[in-house]
Amino acid sequence: MASSHVPIDDRIIASSKIQAEPEIFEVRRDEPEHAFLWDSDGAKTQENNCYGSPITLLDDSSALYGDSLRINGREAVGSNPNRYKQHGFYFNADNCIGCHACETACSEKNDNPSHIAFRSVGYVEGGTYPDYHRINISMACNHCDDPVCLKGCPTRAYTKFPEYGAVLQDPDICFGCGYCTWVCPYNAPQLDPVKGQVTKCNMCVDRLEVGLKPACVSACLGNALDFGVVENIPENRIEAKTGIPGFPSADITHPNIRFQQTRSTHTQMTRTDGMPVKYRKPAGGEHFVPEVDEKIGRKKQWNWRKLLTSHESAHVIFTLSAQAVLGAFMLLGVSLLAGGIGSTVLTQTAPLAVTLPACIGLLSFGLFKLNMHLGKPHRFYRGFNNLRWSPLSREIAGISGFFTFLLGFTLFVFFDNSLARFASIACAVLAALSGLVGLYYMYRIYRIKARPFWDHWQTATAFAGNTLSLGACFTGLLALPAILATGASIQPLLTALSSVTLAGLLVEALGHICHGKAMKRQGGEGASSWYLQTTRFGYPWVLRNALLALAIVTALAITISAPALTGWQGVLAWGALSAFAIAAAGISRSLFFVLVIPTTMPGAFFWKNQDFVEHARDSGLVDLEPVGVVREHAGQFKMDELLETIKNTSLKEVVAHIKDIVVWKKLPR
Amino acid sequence: MLFGRNRKNPIAIADKKVVDWTYATCGYCSTGCAIEVGKNSEGKVVASRGVGGADVNRGKLCLKGMYEHELFEATGRGDTPLLRSHIRQDFQPAQWDTALDHMASEIKRIQQAYGRDAFAVVSTGQILTEEFYTLGKLTRGLIGTNNYDGNTTLCMASAVSGYKRSFGSDGPPGCYGDFEHTHCLLAWGSNLPEQHPIIYWRLKEAMEKRKFPLIVVDPRVTMLAQFADIHLPVRPGTDLVLQNALMHVILEEGLEDKDYIEANTSGIEELRAEVAKWDPTTAYKVCGIDEDTIRNVARLYAKAPSAMHIWTMGINQSTHGSDGVVGINNLSLLTGNIGKPGGTALSITGQCNAMGTREWSSCSGLPGYRALENPDHREEIGKFWNVDPGFFPTKRGLFQTDIFPAIETGQIKGMWLVATNPITSMPNTARIRKTLEKLEFLVVQDAYVDMETTQYAHLYLPAAVWAEKEGTFTNTERRVNMVRKVTAPRGDSKSDLDIFNLLAKRFDPGQKVQFPETPAGVFDEMRELSRGRAMDISGMDHDLIEQARGIQWPYTESQRNSDDPPPVGGVRLYTQPGSFHHPDGRAKLIALPFIDNNERPDEQYPFWLNSGRLVEHFHTRTRTGKVGNNNKFSPIPFMEINPDAAATLGIRHQEYVRCVSRRGDAIVMAMLTQRVPRDMVFIPFHFFDCVNRLTLGLLDPHSRQPAFKQSAVRIETIVDQIGAARISRERRTY
Repeated sequence: MASSHVPIDDRIIASSKIQAEPEIFEVRRDEPEHAFLWDSDGAKTQENNCYGSPITLLDDSSALYGDSLRINGREAVGSNPNRYKQHGFYFNADNCIGCHACETACSEKNDNPSHIAFRSVGYVEGGTYPDYHRINISMACNHCDDPVCLKGCPTRAYTKFPEYGAVLQDPDICFGCGYCTWVCPYNAPQLDPVKGQVTKCNMCVDRLEVGLKPACVSACLGNALDFGVVENIPENRIEAKTGIPGFPSADITHPNIRFQQTRSTHTQMTRTDGMPVKYRKPAGGEHFVPEVDEKIGRKKQWNWRKLLTSHESAHVIFTLSAQAVLGAFMLLGVSLLAGGIGSTVLTQTAPLAVTLPACIGLLSFGLFKLNMHLGKPHRFYRGFNNLRWSPLSREIAGISGFFTFLLGFTLFVFFDNSLARFASIACAVLAALSGLVGLYYMYRIYRIKARPFWDHWQTATAFAGNTLSLGACFTGLLALPAILATGASIQPLLTALSSVTLAGLLVEALGHICHGKAMKRQGGEGASSWYLQTTRFGYPWVLRNALLALAIVTALAITISAPALTGWQGVLAWGALSAFAIAAAGISRSLFFVLVIPTTMPGAFFWKNQDFVEHARDSGLVDLEPVGVVREHAGQFKMDELLETIKNTSLKEVVAHIKDIVVWKKLPR
Repeated sequence: MLFGRNRKNPIAIADKKVVDWTYATCGYCSTGCAIEVGKNSEGKVVASRGVGGADVNRGKLCLKGMYEHELFEATGRGDTPLLRSHIRQDFQPAQWDTALDHMASEIKRIQQAYGRDAFAVVSTGQILTEEFYTLGKLTRGLIGTNNYDGNTTLCMASAVSGYKRSFGSDGPPGCYGDFEHTHCLLAWGSNLPEQHPIIYWRLKEAMEKRKFPLIVVDPRVTMLAQFADIHLPVRPGTDLVLQNALMHVILEEGLEDKDYIEANTSGIEELRAEVAKWDPTTAYKVCGIDEDTIRNVARLYAKAPSAMHIWTMGINQSTHGSDGVVGINNLSLLTGNIGKPGGTALSITGQCNAMGTREWSSCSGLPGYRALENPDHREEIGKFWNVDPGFFPTKRGLFQTDIFPAIETGQIKGMWLVATNPITSMPNTARIRKTLEKLEFLVVQDAYVDMETTQYAHLYLPAAVWAEKEGTFTNTERRVNMVRKVTAPRGDSKSDLDIFNLLAKRFDPGQKVQFPETPAGVFDEMRELSRGRAMDISGMDHDLIEQARGIQWPYTESQRNSDDPPPVGGVRLYTQPGSFHHPDGRAKLIALPFIDNNERPDEQYPFWLNSGRLVEHFHTRTRTGKVGNNNKFSPIPFMEINPDAAATLGIRHQEYVRCVSRRGDAIVMAMLTQRVPRDMVFIPFHFFDCVNRLTLGLLDPHSRQPAFKQSAVRIETIVDQIGAARISRERRTY
């Protein structure tokens, strides 16, 4: 091990030229002692971690043992004796001075622009002058036992390596959907709006291979950050806890980070960033719990622009249009099952000629918005890569299947021969099945523990309810005028559709009521989202409730009085109902996306403060040179890159890739 | 286990492909960290890292140092001289010869018309020691103005003055190694984690090995105050009272080191008489620290086997800054805590080469801590430079803070600013702007053409920055360290040394006075002049300095010849009895009567205004404001205000507010935090058109340093938040 006091003669004089073949990472002749890992002798390592999982990740009998990590194409194998043990960061919250050295060393090493950081420092504070206490928190990736990012990523860009237990992400695979940034409770994956891809902490595995601590740890100036085999407590430290105020529950992902926090804190610690969340230590309790911090008072606001132009509006459009189309198609399917083509008003050729192309058009639009929302839309085909784990992959597969079979059905349904009839029925069945699978996983996508506002069955009632209500409204808007034009009666259809709409609206409303109660009751980030719903977006929320109530009353009225609503009266009534229902759904879904507050780490006053990010974009500060914030960028569909991929990928590779997706080897430990 | 896929993918990690590392010393603060700057095979500068074997920083760097390599490519750099005849005109690019000929002729014109001292030179703490020495030779030996000072008057003048008054010479007597020996540390108005993070790390390392009490005197709950064993939240501007009360207890209880006082000091009786007035009960009413705590701290400090002080701007930037330094020295002398391991009074300096300018620039006298007032010194330097000693003034001229009022009143008509930005850094900048408009000729020499004061310049000279040139810095523990040239100066810019040398030719066409062309040649002259002086560097040369990763002075030729390698660290001053620099060899104990002349909060302006540094920025942000990975941590100015005060005023977190003083106003974003008391706000000093529009800056009678940290303000809410955001943004536009 190097010493910090190398004799002068041995020091490199003048500028040193590095001659030899580059190693995995250069260890300098005068590398200071503090830069080396301190537990490389392996003596201290425990058998299992505090969650009960083994710390040793690979037996020496495994085929993978002794394999190179092939970092930047180098075949060398690291000499670290703890190579196959789960490592983790150790953060002594008593000591962090908030000097930003860790995050800056990380950015310097990883060559990150100022708006991207794999590690960030935020803080919580409490007390009254001069009895004031600030706890700075430095946080990067926790290389979790249960990496939800890896499971969520549809492109399978993530790997958890047996080497050091590092969870690494490959931006060359990523298509920039940002789903990993939703599921991670610690804000570790970083979505770069400029490059349209995610990157994250790589544990400095190149440094670990040669026995050096990660760059952030080596740079720490408060002696707060350390690193080693998980559960090993560094010298002079006395505990290895899994929580400090501001850190989300370790239950979600079993993170490989351990803390020391021995100095007395105040029972309430607040955040300086804009999140309406603070942390309170319950009497007798050990862990701080998040609760609402009413930072913006109690006044209701409109905030239309913020509500309707958020980064997630593509999801609003996609989910609503997919649900409407699926609902419309299911209604069609039920009609078909009831009696085949032409048996009901809905399955006459005239309404079909309107509804089916409209369905295709609307779903195409939704899919287009969704795809163009990706950082790299030309990599859309990678969305199926992680069928094994990712609800997003499964949703994409389901909705793609639905779209494909919808096209097939539309093609065959207008031919009148037995083969076409069989094909159309087969397409209809497959479309319905894959559509339902897609809808189910569309719902599963949002059951994210790190996003309590979404993680409730209301997401299911909203999606299912809207599938019914919007599907029926959409069908009615298209089919009723078409039927009327043929001179047939619209009343049977009107009655049926309004009942379906009513059912959908009631299911949705029930979900909202229970969701609100649950959020308020459970406290934490969910309650904070609810707080924003009733304040920052208070008026749109009231309007949504009014529209929903109006839609329910209208649907009920139409159901009851359908026989009296003849001809254009019926169509007009339907138009009114649809307007209420669609407006309510639009606001509702926009609120759903804009309100979610993740369980992420506290930010600082400027850096990692979402409110400041928005302020910088609104006020034009973002256009000044380097303020650490960039504007949102639309993804660019690079056709040349797609053609290049097609040209350079052999059939064999395609087959191997598909095999990798569907056949899952369980590797021996 | 390979979780996520069947086959292992290769890993890509950013690799800057550095093939060549060059040694340098950081050009930001005075800690003096050794840096290696990396270039790739195309010669592009791409990386910085701390030098592992350097005693100061032992491989570590703060966030500014880690991105120092980005300075070379940063925006806003000047690459050609710019000239205009009136400040309302646009600049025109000029050749160096034209620019320097014009500059020399304007200086001569002004001096002939209004007198030699009507042209002022104000330099900096940022350029290399060899450059300071050359500028001093040019200014004292050829131009001959006595109105020559540095911006160190804004940061270190009180420390210099206090050291001189107590010990007879400037020069911090301690070193970072004292942390490893001390048994008690008092930090006065010093927030190491924010201002000098590497020194904080050295302190933390020492405290982790061997815990000792840390006492922090600061009106704000800084990170260091939060970590203190005892935090003394003193009332602004009353630290002298606290010092007197501590001395009162020490003398009253007989805790002083009588033998040391007897052997090494003079003036104990006068001091005893003055501090007798400041019993802790009386002191409490002024400084706000209760009597029990005062007694507790006095006993803890005086009984420690060795005890040390550090201080920074909380002491220096005050109307009694020099007295505050003397007070710290008094406490150290009373307890025998000077010149012994762990016992010292260590001023923590602000700029990378504030020490270099103090030693060698001739601002306050002549090179090598020599005085203009001393005829022998004038004779000695005159002879060495080949300048008539009669050409030197016999008394030091105006300080920087008196030069500006002299422009205001018309005695000074022309000025040369070297690497300093007074319309951001001086107190009461409205007055500074009006002052600068009066100049017939202003030269701004700086690496950045977008540096705000350039808007008042007639001539702009583009200078090389940091490691685009070669030479030495001296850090806060008197360590001389090397900056090697990493890359060529940007565009047509030149090193400050080259600029001084070219200008010298215009004043001395016969080249009667020698100006060495190379930094090493200049260093040879300095080495000669240092022989036998306090800052003896006669054993050093550039190569040895780099090899040793910096050498603390004194390091004499005889030490070198006796084959003593330079010590790694731990060199102290005044280790021998009676070795102080007053003629009697004794240090002076000086009685310090307290005069309260600060602008205090009142009904109209109910808040104390405090200002200070942020870890991510340096000085007026000309450099760090352009490095994204520094600037992002505070891209716009903010104001810490107590939430209880904010609630009364109706101010919300992260809202823009207008801060108003008797001088002007500033727009800042409010940060509600209990870090500051109910009657104080804190604004960082780095931002253009911000806190110094508000500050009063009364001057210390000895050091002429302004009291930046004690003014009174009121806070107004702003209805038009969008307009406020626009003003705040426009003031950040370079």
